[in-house]
Amino acid sequence: MANIKWKRYLNYIVISALAVLFAVLSLTGTLKLGTQILLEKITISIILAVSLSMVVGFLGELSLGHAGFMCVGAYIGGKVACLVDGDGNSHLILITAILVGGVVAAICGFIIGLPALRLKGDYLAIVTLAFGEIVRSLFLNSTPESFGSTLGLKTPRYDSRFLLIYGFVFVLIALAVIQNLIKSKHGRAITAIRDNEIAAKATGINITKYKLLVFIVSAFFAGVAGVLFSHANYTVQSKTFDYNYSIEILVMVVLGGMGSINGAIISATLITFLNEELTTILTGELSVLKDLLYALILILLIIYNNAPALKGVREKYNLRAFVGKIRKHDPAADKDDEAKWHRVPTKIDMNEVLSTDLVVKESRAEKGDRGGK
Amino acid sequence: MEFISTLLNGLSSGGTYAMIALGYTMVYGIAKMLNFAHGDVIMVGGYIMYVMMLLLSQNVFLGIAVAVVFCVLLGILVERLAYRPLRGASPLAVLITAIGVSYLFQSLALIVFKSSPKMLSVLQISGALKLGKLSVDYSTIVTLAVAAAVMTALTLFVKKTKTGRAMVAVSEDRDAAKLMGINVNFIIMITFAIGSGLAALAGVFMLMKAPSLSNTFGAMPGIKAFTAAVIGGIGSIPGAMVGGILLGVIEAISFKIPLIAPYTDAIEFSILIIILLVKPTGLLGKRRREKV
Amino acid sequence: MKLSKRILALALAVVTAVSVFSFASCSGDDIEVPEFSAETIKIGVSGPLTGAAAVYGQAVYNGARLAIHEINEAGGLDGTLFSFEMFDDTHDPTKVATGYASLTGKGMQLSLGTVTTGPGLEFKELSKTNMFVLTPSASGDKIPEYANAYQMCFADGNQGKVAAEYVNSLCLTKIGIFYKTDEDYSKGIYDQFKANLSSSIQTVEASFTDSNATDFSTQIDTLKDCTFIFMPIYYTPASLFMTQAKDKIAKNATYYGCDGFDGIESAEGFDITTIPQNVSMLSHFNSKAESGAAKDFVTKYTDIFGADTLNQFGASAYDCVYAIFNALKAAKAAGKTVDGSTSSADMLAILTEQFNGGFTYSGVTGDNIKWEPTGYVNKGAVPYTIKEANE
Repeated sequence: MANIKWKRYLNYIVISALAVLFAVLSLTGTLKLGTQILLEKITISIILAVSLSMVVGFLGELSLGHAGFMCVGAYIGGKVACLVDGDGNSHLILITAILVGGVVAAICGFIIGLPALRLKGDYLAIVTLAFGEIVRSLFLNSTPESFGSTLGLKTPRYDSRFLLIYGFVFVLIALAVIQNLIKSKHGRAITAIRDNEIAAKATGINITKYKLLVFIVSAFFAGVAGVLFSHANYTVQSKTFDYNYSIEILVMVVLGGMGSINGAIISATLITFLNEELTTILTGELSVLKDLLYALILILLIIYNNAPALKGVREKYNLRAFVGKIRKHDPAADKDDEAKWHRVPTKIDMNEVLSTDLVVKESRAEKGDRGGK
Repeated sequence: MEFISTLLNGLSSGGTYAMIALGYTMVYGIAKMLNFAHGDVIMVGGYIMYVMMLLLSQNVFLGIAVAVVFCVLLGILVERLAYRPLRGASPLAVLITAIGVSYLFQSLALIVFKSSPKMLSVLQISGALKLGKLSVDYSTIVTLAVAAAVMTALTLFVKKTKTGRAMVAVSEDRDAAKLMGINVNFIIMITFAIGSGLAALAGVFMLMKAPSLSNTFGAMPGIKAFTAAVIGGIGSIPGAMVGGILLGVIEAISFKIPLIAPYTDAIEFSILIIILLVKPTGLLGKRRREKV
Repeated sequence: MKLSKRILALALAVVTAVSVFSFASCSGDDIEVPEFSAETIKIGVSGPLTGAAAVYGQAVYNGARLAIHEINEAGGLDGTLFSFEMFDDTHDPTKVATGYASLTGKGMQLSLGTVTTGPGLEFKELSKTNMFVLTPSASGDKIPEYANAYQMCFADGNQGKVAAEYVNSLCLTKIGIFYKTDEDYSKGIYDQFKANLSSSIQTVEASFTDSNATDFSTQIDTLKDCTFIFMPIYYTPASLFMTQAKDKIAKNATYYGCDGFDGIESAEGFDITTIPQNVSMLSHFNSKAESGAAKDFVTKYTDIFGADTLNQFGASAYDCVYAIFNALKAAKAAGKTVDGSTSSADMLAILTEQFNGGFTYSGVTGDNIKWEPTGYVNKGAVPYTIKEANE
């Protein structure tokens, strides 16, 4: 049992260790500017991916407007920091900005959560996409004095040596809040809604409350990521937060494995790293190749990870098996692990996310299959 | 008079949106996937048209035919290579693959055709029909006529032919359709073929109005058409038509008023949200009963 | 397993085909410019090479490399060659920090800043203390805010003001304005133009945004009664507008643009002679120049890169490199040491001394170009008539 408890906190321990390591390196000035920027971006991506994973992976609703919440956070947080102090290297101001930005984004999350009560699947997806584009358009057409119009809002760039530490701190906070929420009885209610809304309702789960809760918490952390983002740049432009950005966050969640927070963390890190590396390595004439490589990697990874025909290959060569081989641990422990309810979500197929009827049957049939073998 | 000419402009861009939305809606109805690469097929069709014009100089109709055929084949190929391996996997995985395919098309177009926009002026239909004080562009008439013809043909195809009815069956219940002896893979392939062909055709009409071709040519029209398909009720053929026309008209009216012109996108998307809140499955969408 | 193997094989085949194809089509021109290395003088720039603004970045990339190639052929700066690298920022300000870190990490000593204004606002903050910036085309009014930055192009606000003064002098009663609301270049000129326009002139306005930049029928409808239309936009949408408006706007009307119009005659597939209206602009470069440095540049450029990216961006970048080269040569003559190991801060000191100390340069985009200590360029803007109205 002690072993399992330790495993439960593994991600905190790893991230805290990395945070301390990079904090020391950064404060002693050993980190190059490029690495600092990379780390900032990675922490922002992790917060975004973990918060979106709550909506998509656990609540089972597709959101294509996560960048919209981030946009709200970035503009509001940046504006708060500007109003209080244009110079912006005070810890208090940064934290205030983050809180204000997060709360305003959370209010937007509440507003978007309301249609989520009525709409499902793709219809909700397009509403979230529309929300993101509306937010963007409003900030774009603001007056130059308020939010900077087409040139974007001038924001105070926070010292990157400290900002990356804040990034890590907020990754840990996001993780603590979301992971604990998911593992509590509330989390069980949320996954129950995902797996079968009507059955969940029948067992007395307050659907309205939980759906809104998920949207609010998720939007809050997207807003926090937005404030960090605005402090990592001298200007924020609304153009950045278009639907392509939302899709990129969604890619992180899906590649990480639905309903897996650690998966989202790992894939957010890898995708951000890949993007940064491709842009810095492929300069000049070669830069046209980076989108091509990204697209090919994306398609092949998704097919490899999801194609039913490749199931055999996947089971033979995968990360978990690889790690297992190195650690040479007792297979009985795995079995014990699978009995844990919080591992179950990764096993359920995610058809429910997009269409509700047809698929429920399919997944049942599959489960029956599994049992028969 | 002013208002009527604005309305006509809206109708003509709405007709183009409708054609793209038809492809979206069919693929969604039958394959149950959001094909985000649909908009980029428009762009590919445009470039094929451009290449054909360079090779064949003035033969416009042959160019259009080649572009449509190429896109049909492309649709089949992409379905075979990227989407079919994922049949039975999560719809989200398919969605992400579609996004990957979209990036792939855009970057290939950038590599092959470079960054400078290509102008295609051979497609211009100039002149207008004069009706008293009112003048209606021939291009508007042609766009609307073709869009209406395409919709009628598609409706007939779906209602009257064996393949069309098989499509309805697959969209209603894929498993039952399979049990009834319908080749589901074939039906889905046909759907992609039709959708891509329509996208190429829509690309021709877009070029007729705005003859500037770049690698992001289809991205925004794709999203707008997706919006149109959802407004009309995704999965419904007349819905796509209604949604497309509605969106085009709203856009034209909004552009006409300088004060709100910069907010056009926001207005279109707000109307989408309002319609969905009132009718959660779009204007003409079927309400599905949720089964337990 | 059989199916999976087949899928893998197909996927591999596609990857191979695509990569072979792309590498084959990548080697476009035969210009050789060295990559960053210790012994060369390293010039960097950040600009869009992919995405919607790629055509402008490509022009700067070509123009700058052409100049560096020529300088190196002629022996460089007393034997020290120049090297050049461009980071693809896709016209996205948030990518600039990464690019700047990467370029400085590789040893960039001098920079041409950014190609476009949005990313330039990020670049100016990153570079303000220790990097010399002479931007070919980032025309925002705030780009040269700090002492390290200079512009080769006119600032947007200035262009708007000059254009308004010109229009005021024409004694018109009603003009049309066609601009792009979500673009800093267009909006910047538009704001200053409106502010300086005489209040007796009535204006009819139509605008568009990025997501609706193709079909202009509604806007043309709004502007159809105007005989003078001011269009502070780039040539790509402008050519589109003119094509669509051919028969709808009066044949004797005038389209009046700023330097963004340049390149319109060479836009691929667009034939300006089919446009019945009058097209003119106020600019520092005319790609149809009949004589002088501009003509030489146009010939050289089109020989190597073709005409489809020929515009003021490339010309301006070409001038930037030569202006830096001449300033460095002057500094060297005055006893300064300039080579591949000079730090970027020293370069900044050397070059600002030159640029603020009366350095003048004559090239493709103007004669006797001088810079004010504020960083704004001081050169003559020439009104060009690109095409006269058909009678």
